[in-house]
Amino acid sequence: MGDQIKALWRKTSWAWSPASERESSEAIVKNFWLHWFPAKVARASMDWNYSFWLGTASASLLLILTITGVMLMFFYVPSTERAYGSIKDLEYAVSFGRLLRNQHRWAAEGMVAVVYIHMARVFFTGAYRGTRAINWVVGVVLFLATLFLSFTGYLLPWDQLAFWAITVGTSIAKQAPLVGPTIQFLLLGGNEIGQQTLLRFYVLHVFFLPVLVWVLFAYHMWRVRKDGGLAVIERVRNERVMAPKATPKTKSYSLFGLTPGTSVQVMSSTGLEESDQVFSSPNMSRRIALVFLVVFNLTLLAAIIFNAPLEGLANPSVTPNPAKAPWYFVWLQELVASTTVRMGDFTVSGALLGGILLPGFLLAVLTMWPWLDRSPRSAEGRWLAPERKRQNATFAVATLAIIILIMVGVYLRGPYWRLYWPGQPRPETPRLY
Amino acid sequence: MDSDRRKVLRFIGKGSVLAAFLAQIGAAGRALFPNVLYEPPSRFKLKRPDDYPDGYTLDEAHRLYVIRQKDAFHVISAICTHLGCNVQWRDTEFDCPCHGSRFRPDGTVISGPAPGPLDWFSTTVSPDGFLEVDSAKDVARDFQLIIGANGKA
Repeated sequence: MGDQIKALWRKTSWAWSPASERESSEAIVKNFWLHWFPAKVARASMDWNYSFWLGTASASLLLILTITGVMLMFFYVPSTERAYGSIKDLEYAVSFGRLLRNQHRWAAEGMVAVVYIHMARVFFTGAYRGTRAINWVVGVVLFLATLFLSFTGYLLPWDQLAFWAITVGTSIAKQAPLVGPTIQFLLLGGNEIGQQTLLRFYVLHVFFLPVLVWVLFAYHMWRVRKDGGLAVIERVRNERVMAPKATPKTKSYSLFGLTPGTSVQVMSSTGLEESDQVFSSPNMSRRIALVFLVVFNLTLLAAIIFNAPLEGLANPSVTPNPAKAPWYFVWLQELVASTTVRMGDFTVSGALLGGILLPGFLLAVLTMWPWLDRSPRSAEGRWLAPERKRQNATFAVATLAIIILIMVGVYLRGPYWRLYWPGQPRPETPRLY
Repeated sequence: MDSDRRKVLRFIGKGSVLAAFLAQIGAAGRALFPNVLYEPPSRFKLKRPDDYPDGYTLDEAHRLYVIRQKDAFHVISAICTHLGCNVQWRDTEFDCPCHGSRFRPDGTVISGPAPGPLDWFSTTVSPDGFLEVDSAKDVARDFQLIIGANGKA
């Protein structure tokens, strides 16, 4: 009996722990979960210190968010009367409900951060050249979709934080030239935040955007394979070309005088060699499993230690003071609060300049960067290549500026959005709700 | 001749199916624009004029301030013109908690990101003696509703 169970286990799991190179190779063909990997991958792309496996970490967070999100859907009611109560139920009446919500919340905030850091890694390694430019653009769209998923999820608890963050957010959308008011009307399902808004954000959050992200994620992965793998292999290839092996002239080539110098065979050998590659199973599959488990446990740990915030029930007639956006949008809030320009009677609203035009410009530059990059291709797939020093500095400065704005917004802004230094007493403001 | 007719018929056939397909996508998009809004009307009654003390009184439900100076009344919107938060009256000025806009007692901007002054709403007395506001109607910045001893404007 025990032997039979052992045999059955071996029969279903051998693909994950192949005992020979032959089994490694067959695993990719015979296992559904492994079949989307190539049989072999570049050894260099398995390096922890090159990619930090941030893309895998992002995908792990997406999976965690999908599973915990579907669990939350069993309890959440998208109605203005019952939404807040169902979150309270999750916290106090459902076994482990608070844990599920906490994990969903921290995984969501983690995903915004990890996806951005993943993008920064791709930037600092110059890994968006040639056909990989398409995947860079797909990645930018995925980052935006991640932000929009966070934004739509923010409204669902229907607490004060949610209500006023969405008030500010949709008012920014209204400032877009020409189509702004229509976009706001369409997002809200009316002129003010109400039942229609909640339902629309719910459908966007639990169906439309997740499907979009999963489809784009699949395309993102497919493109990685079509582009030949991570950009680090271009570095390996470049090294191979720079140091061609000194092979003797082959007899026929020199006899017929077809080519001077080395033979054609060696010069065309720009591809990866046998020694540069390892089998996907188990080398890649085990690393992916490890990254997933680490990410899962980190979010679980955060969920056990920290509770997701929940303020009082949404009250359209009382604005909390100060009303802050979630941290990943606070830098935008800083911008909309400080970019109103007045020239005589002519006023440009900060919501247009700081909320639409400036982020729009940043986004356009970010998207177009692969076509703006004129550095030599030898900089590809290398961390902080000297040839790209100025580009890397630009990206780092922009990131730093955003981080500083976030820090100012989160830690230094007090009542009425005034600046208070740490430790400086802040005036008591009545909490009216 | 015969083939030309077929071409036309084929064009009509394929074209109509395609047109129906596109029209249905358009219809689905149009459905997202609501025709009926279950929102409060822009014209509504407040309390009786005598229920308001002198000075600035916040009406939370309607998000506006009723300002009384003896017999003179006017109503200013509490919705910040920047991004729609509720401004708060702080004895000498309105302050917005979201992005720090500041307004004078008449609703014009002192500083901050707000692009324009707070709305000043058309106000009347209804036949049954209540203050009545039309938030869709903006009035001049010196508008005052003077109410006589008989309770009529």
